[in-house]
Amino acid sequence: MSDQHSGTADGTDTSAATASGTEASDTDTASADAATAGAASQPLLRVEDLQKSYGDETVLRGISFDLDKRDVEVIIGPSGSGKSTMLRCVNRLTEFQGGAIYLDGESVMAMNDNDLRRRVGMVFQDINLFAHLTALQNVTLGLRKVRGMGKEAAREKAMDQLDRVGLASQADSYPAELSGGQKQRVGIARALAMDPELLLFDEPTSALDPELVGEVLEVMRDLAEGGMTMLVVTHEMGFARRAASSLMFLDEGRIVERGPPEQLFDDPEHDRTAEFLQRLTTISEEV
Amino acid sequence: MVLSLASPPALDAVDWVALAQFESGDWAFVREQLPYLARGFVVTLLLTLTSIVLGFLAGFPMGAIEVYGRGPLRSFVYGAGVVLRAIPIVVILVFMFFVAPIPLPGGQFAFDVPRVGSVSFGRSAFLAATVGLGLRSAAYQAQIFRGALQSVSGGQMEAARSVGMSRLQGIRHVVLPQALRRSIPGFQNEFTIVLKDTSIAFAIGLTELFARADNLFTQRTTATLELFLFISLVYFIMTFVTNRSLDYLGDYYAIPGGDR
Amino acid sequence: MSGERSTARTTLARAGEGLPTGRSVGLAIGALFWAWLVVRWVTIWAGYSEPFFPVAFFEGLATGFENDALVMQQNTGALAPVLDFVAGFWFLFSDVASFVAFAVEYLPTLAEGAWLTVVLTVAGIAFGLVIAVPLSVARVYGGVVTRSLALVYIELIRGTPLLAQLFVIYYGLNMSQYFRGVSSGLLPTTAVWVAIVGFTINSAAYQAEYIRSALESVESGQLTAARAIGLSRIDGIRHVVLPQGLRYAIPGWTNELVYLIKYSSLAAFITVVELFESGRDIAGQTFQYLNIYALLALFYLALVLSATLFMGWVEDRVAIPGLGVRDGRE
Repeated sequence: MSDQHSGTADGTDTSAATASGTEASDTDTASADAATAGAASQPLLRVEDLQKSYGDETVLRGISFDLDKRDVEVIIGPSGSGKSTMLRCVNRLTEFQGGAIYLDGESVMAMNDNDLRRRVGMVFQDINLFAHLTALQNVTLGLRKVRGMGKEAAREKAMDQLDRVGLASQADSYPAELSGGQKQRVGIARALAMDPELLLFDEPTSALDPELVGEVLEVMRDLAEGGMTMLVVTHEMGFARRAASSLMFLDEGRIVERGPPEQLFDDPEHDRTAEFLQRLTTISEEV
Repeated sequence: MVLSLASPPALDAVDWVALAQFESGDWAFVREQLPYLARGFVVTLLLTLTSIVLGFLAGFPMGAIEVYGRGPLRSFVYGAGVVLRAIPIVVILVFMFFVAPIPLPGGQFAFDVPRVGSVSFGRSAFLAATVGLGLRSAAYQAQIFRGALQSVSGGQMEAARSVGMSRLQGIRHVVLPQALRRSIPGFQNEFTIVLKDTSIAFAIGLTELFARADNLFTQRTTATLELFLFISLVYFIMTFVTNRSLDYLGDYYAIPGGDR
Repeated sequence: MSGERSTARTTLARAGEGLPTGRSVGLAIGALFWAWLVVRWVTIWAGYSEPFFPVAFFEGLATGFENDALVMQQNTGALAPVLDFVAGFWFLFSDVASFVAFAVEYLPTLAEGAWLTVVLTVAGIAFGLVIAVPLSVARVYGGVVTRSLALVYIELIRGTPLLAQLFVIYYGLNMSQYFRGVSSGLLPTTAVWVAIVGFTINSAAYQAEYIRSALESVESGQLTAARAIGLSRIDGIRHVVLPQGLRYAIPGWTNELVYLIKYSSLAAFITVVELFESGRDIAGQTFQYLNIYALLALFYLALVLSATLFMGWVEDRVAIPGLGVRDGRE
C-alpha cells in the first residue's frame, strides 16, 4: 500500500472538471477560503488514481478528483459501480491497493486511522446507531471516548447537534423507539458532533420508507447551505439538483462524467450518463 | 505438564535422571493398564448409548406432551422436567442406586469383547446409572424437541390440514420431519453431555472408564496426573468424534436452502 | 450439563422458567427460604448451630399420630372401615411429621454445606467471566494465533469431564499446596480454593462459548460505525459490541449459573463439604437415605429456581428497548 502513482490515464483527466464544479452561487465561499491561508491552492480532499480490488475482482480502476472546502459532491452510478467502496477508502474503512488520497494535503495512509476518522465523518445506509445507547449517548460516545471531553461538555455539545437535526426532544429515546428517518438524523448528529472537516454519506436514505426520506434530505440540505464539505452517494436527484456543487457519474470503477448538476442533467457528454439519469428520474417519478 | 508437582523441591535438589525414569515409569504404568482401561471404555460407551436411548424414548413423548398435551399429564411432565433439570446428576444417580423403588438385579454383567477381553460390571450400578442419566437426559431432550416443534411455523400445520390431513397426520408427516432435523444441534450437545457425565457413575461404583482410572490411582498414587490426563484425552476424542459424526448427520439430512 | 445449550432456541430449555402457577407464591417461598438461609449462616458463624425449631416437638407429633393410628386400627366395631381409612391419613401425617423432624434436625448442617455451594458457584461464575470475556473476544476478533489458542482452550475444556479436570488439578497437580497460606481460621479449606480454580477454568470455557455466539449476533455494522467516529478497534469492542453482546448472553449465562450450582456437587469428590457432601455425611450417619435425598433435592431446587428468577430480574433490569429481542437474528 503506497502512494505510488501507476499513471493510468483512465479518469485522471476528469479532475479538471473540479474547477467548474464550484462556480455556482458561492461568492461567500471564496472569501471564507481566502481567510484560511493557503487553502485556496490546496483542495480539502484530493483523490489520485485510486485503485481497489477484492481478490480478483477490481472495484476501482483509477479514480481521481479534487474536492474543495464547502463543496458538495453527489456521486451516482449503478449498483456495483464502486461508489460505496470509494467512500470507504476515503476514511480507510477499506484499504486500497493503488493511488493516493490526501486530506488537506496530508496522505491518509500516513495518518493514524482513528485521527483520520475523527476528521472525516460518515453516515451509513443501514444507519448503525449503537443499539444499546440512547440518541444522546450515541452522540456523546465519540465525544467522550475519542475526544476525551468531560461528561457535561459532551452532553451540551451533543444536545446542540441533536437540536441541529431537530431531535432534541428525543434525546433519551433508544434507537428502537425512533423512526427510520429520526434514526438517520441521529446518525448525522453523531457524525457532526466530531466536528468533521468532511462528511461522507453512503446512500443515507435508501433504507428508509419513502415518506421518511424528506426529513433526512432537509437536514442534509441545511448542512450543505451551512458550508459543510460533503461527499454524498445518493440517487435522490432532487437533492443533487438543488444542493450539489458537482455531480459525478461512476460506472465500473471509473468516473464516466463529472460536472455541475445542471450540465449532467441537461446536456450530458456521454450517452451512458444520459441513459442512467433517464432511468433514475423515471423511477423516482414512479415513486 | 509431565512434571509431578507432588512436592516441589528446590530445583537444584532434583535428581533429574531419577525423576525422568520415575515419570516415564508412570506413563509405562498407564500403558500397562491400557487393557484394563479399555474395558472401562467399553462400559462408558455402553452406558452412554443406553442412557441416550432411554432419554430419547422418554424425552421425545415428553416434548410432544409439553407442546400438544393438556391437563394434568402436561403439568406432571412439566414438573418432572423442572425437578430433573434442577438436581445435580450425582444426587440423581445416588438416589437411583440407594433409594429409588426400582428392582435392581444383583450380580455382574460379563461378556467378551474382541481384542479387549472380558468386560464385567455390576448389573445394579449399570441399571441405576442408565435410569438416572436416561431420565435426566429425557428432561433435556424433551426441551430440545419442544423447542424444535414450536419452531416449525403454524402455517405448516395449516397447510397440512388444508390438503385434508388430520391433526395427527399433520404432526407426523409435516411437523415432525422438520422438527427432528432442527433438533440435531441440541441433540449433539446432549450426547456429549451424557458422554461426559457417565464419569459421575463412579460415585455408585460402576466400573466405567473414570472409576477404573480412580482405582488405578489408589494403586499407584504417583501416576495420578498421567492417568487422569490420559482418560481426559480419551473423553475428548470421544466427544470430538461424536460432534463431527453428528455434524455429518446434520449435513446429510439438511434440506437444501432450509435452515437446520 | 445445561452449560452447553447455546443455541437461541434451546435457551427456552432453562430449568426454572418460572413456576407454572402462582408466581407470587413462588416468590414468597423463595424469600422465606433465603431469609432463613441467611439468618442460619449468620448464627452458625456466631457459633450457634442448634436447630431453630424443637426437633422433639415434631418427633412427638410423629409418634402421636402413629399411636393414634395404631389405636384406630385396633377398633373392630361398626366404624372399623371408616377408622381404618382415617388411620391411613394418620400414618401419612406421622411420616410427614417425622420427615419434618428429620429436616429440622439436619437443616443447620445442610445450610453450612449450601454456603460452600453458593461460594463455589458465585466464585466460579465471577472469576470465569473475567477470563471468558477476553477469551470470547479473542475467539471472534483475534488474529490467527489468539483465535486458535482460545479455540483450543475452549474445546479441550468443554470436551472433557469436569470431574476429570478436578482430579487433575487436585490429585494430579496437588494444587492445594499453593493455598496453605490462605486457609486458616475462617477462610475456606485448601480444597475449596482448588475447587474454585477448577470451576473457574471450566466455567470460563462455557461462558466464552455463550459470549462468543452472543458477540456474533451483534451486527457487524455496529463496530464499523464505532470505527467511523474514530474509536479504535479495541474501544469499539469495549464500548459498543460488548455492552450489546453481554446482554444477548444473559440467557446462556443463566444456564451456566444453574450448571454451576448443580455441578459444584462434584467438589465433594475432592473433599469439599458442600451441600451434596454434607447430605452424604448425614446419610452415612443416619441411613435415612430417602429423607436426606428428598431434602437435598428440595435444597437444589430452591437454589436453581432462585438463580433463574434472579437472572430473569437482571435481564429485565438491564433491558434496553429493541435489544435482547432476538427476532430476525437467528
